[in-house]
Amino acid sequence: MSELLIEIKDLECRIDNQKILKGLNLKINKGEVHAIMGPNGSGKSTLSSVLAGNDNYEVTSGSINFLGEEISEMSPEERSWKGMFLAFQYPVEIPGVSNINFLRTALNERNKYYGVDSIPAKDFLKMVAEKSELVGLNNKLKNRSVNEGFSGGEKKRNEIFQMAMLDPKLSILDETDSGLDIDALKIVANGVNKLKSSENATVVITHYQRLLDYIVPDFVHVLHEGKIIKSGDKSLALELEKKGYDWLKTDENI
Amino acid sequence: MIIKDLNHNSLHKENSKFDLEALNLGSFPNRKEERWKYTPLRALKKINFHNQLNFKIEHLSSLGIPKIEGFLIVLENGKFNSLLSNTIDLKGTELSFLNGTNIANNSDEPNHKDYFTNLNFSFLTEKVVLKIKPDVNINQPINFVNIISDDNCISNTQFNIDVFENSKLHIRQYFLGSSNSKNGFINHRNAVSLKSQSSLTIDKFQDLNQNFNFCNEFIDQEQESKFIMNTFSASGVILRNDVFNNVNGKNCHSELNGVFAPIEKQHFDNHTTINHFVADCKSFENYKGVIKESGVGVFNGKVIVHQDAQKIEAFQKNNNILLDDESKIYSKPELEIYADDVRCSHGSTTGRFDEEALFYLRSRGISVKKSLELMTLGFINEVIEKSTDSEYKEFILNKIT
Repeated sequence: MSELLIEIKDLECRIDNQKILKGLNLKINKGEVHAIMGPNGSGKSTLSSVLAGNDNYEVTSGSINFLGEEISEMSPEERSWKGMFLAFQYPVEIPGVSNINFLRTALNERNKYYGVDSIPAKDFLKMVAEKSELVGLNNKLKNRSVNEGFSGGEKKRNEIFQMAMLDPKLSILDETDSGLDIDALKIVANGVNKLKSSENATVVITHYQRLLDYIVPDFVHVLHEGKIIKSGDKSLALELEKKGYDWLKTDENI
Repeated sequence: MIIKDLNHNSLHKENSKFDLEALNLGSFPNRKEERWKYTPLRALKKINFHNQLNFKIEHLSSLGIPKIEGFLIVLENGKFNSLLSNTIDLKGTELSFLNGTNIANNSDEPNHKDYFTNLNFSFLTEKVVLKIKPDVNINQPINFVNIISDDNCISNTQFNIDVFENSKLHIRQYFLGSSNSKNGFINHRNAVSLKSQSSLTIDKFQDLNQNFNFCNEFIDQEQESKFIMNTFSASGVILRNDVFNNVNGKNCHSELNGVFAPIEKQHFDNHTTINHFVADCKSFENYKGVIKESGVGVFNGKVIVHQDAQKIEAFQKNNNILLDDESKIYSKPELEIYADDVRCSHGSTTGRFDEEALFYLRSRGISVKKSLELMTLGFINEVIEKSTDSEYKEFILNKIT
């Protein structure tokens, strides 16, 4: 039997007194790929922010159990140390901080948490070379300021590069396909697939079936008004592509 | 190199008590004056100063600065400390000191009759004069360390730097307060003369702890000379830098950069005046404030382009980050232009770090403290990068973030 990675139970959360998630349930086992789809404003990005620990959102009830631990009150950095990773829909630009310095700091902070020595410069650089190749990240971008002046596609590749460096247990890809042309999409998807193992899991948040041709999900969930209203296998995504979401809303009497 | 007379036998004026307000030096600055509007001097005024000059420091390493190789001039509590100094022979340079009774021979006239200049001239105890002869390129930085290590000690010092035609020099100045001293005050004056086609870079670092430091800097530039001053202000009760940069010759380059990071009610004030008297020159100013925990920063930069100074390019900016609600910045970029064919700009921004960026860093496993450090580094990097020496850069970053 596969091992449980994360279990979200009756999760409710709000931002500025507006309820966004209204009792969301989701279980993910190691080795699985889940896709979350849904119309605009259904709460997809909120879910990813809440899982990563963005404190703009307040969890009002329910629980998030990650590797046997309740994490809904945990800081974003601690979640990261335990293996959570969010690939941002809009990666943030950090002027003056080089990509390399940023990643070295990230790895060293995690090592510090686990009481492990800092990674030697030589090993680190070797790792950077290896992992950046995975998504074909231009060498020059590694020394540039984090995401500053990167094209849309470069920013998304940089997210997957960071994911490869941090080797997370649970990766949430928040609309990683938006703003990517078809070639970049293939490269990014290929990178994600290579990072897949029986020890980790991936959540793909997307509007379009297209990405799921390249990152094939085991499960597809439809999020609507802060709840998962339907789950199925990858054929559900194809059906959604054809029919849109309206049929589901009537089906489920929402 | 010639080292002139070193004489510490007697002091020009030795007072056991200084009441700054009672001295007959003109009116003590108050906040009604435009130049002192943002910098109250109450904390300075209430101190009973003395200028009995003692040495207390045995090793510079106790002051938290990296080991200094090469040429080194150390003043401590207003007096040349030869034991800590290393005035090795440098070809093409001339170093001299005025102190003790010789100080009366000081031929300089204060070109700016404000209170602290008057104080400096009236109670001057050590003056260092460094001359770089024509066509000399000094590769190694010359180090000047000015320490206050005695409680309530007032130190009035001067450093004259004359760089002659076609010569090049790099100076590192350290203004330091020992960590166990308090209420000391270094009132210093730098007077720089740059002859044609000469070049001078000054990196100035201020780490006064519980002490005060004011610097009046006068820079005169002749044609085709280049002047760069990078001021890094790390600690001190009140730090005040008054830079007066007079550009008297054509095709000059003048550059003033700074990073100031006051915390815990420290008050760091940068005043600059660049006078463009003639045409075809460029000036650049870039000051960055990082202010937290009730720290107060002041930037008042003034660029004056005089009537005949056509084709001037002058750019001035001041960007500030306030890390909390208690911190303050007073920023006043000023341009006065009397010529009609110039390219000038000035600007000031003040803000906080982006919450989104903070979350982004934290989501990658970087703690809040470290994230703020990284973002601070990113913010000041543009100025720190002006320094070419990676060891010095590292040192400044450690002290400032």
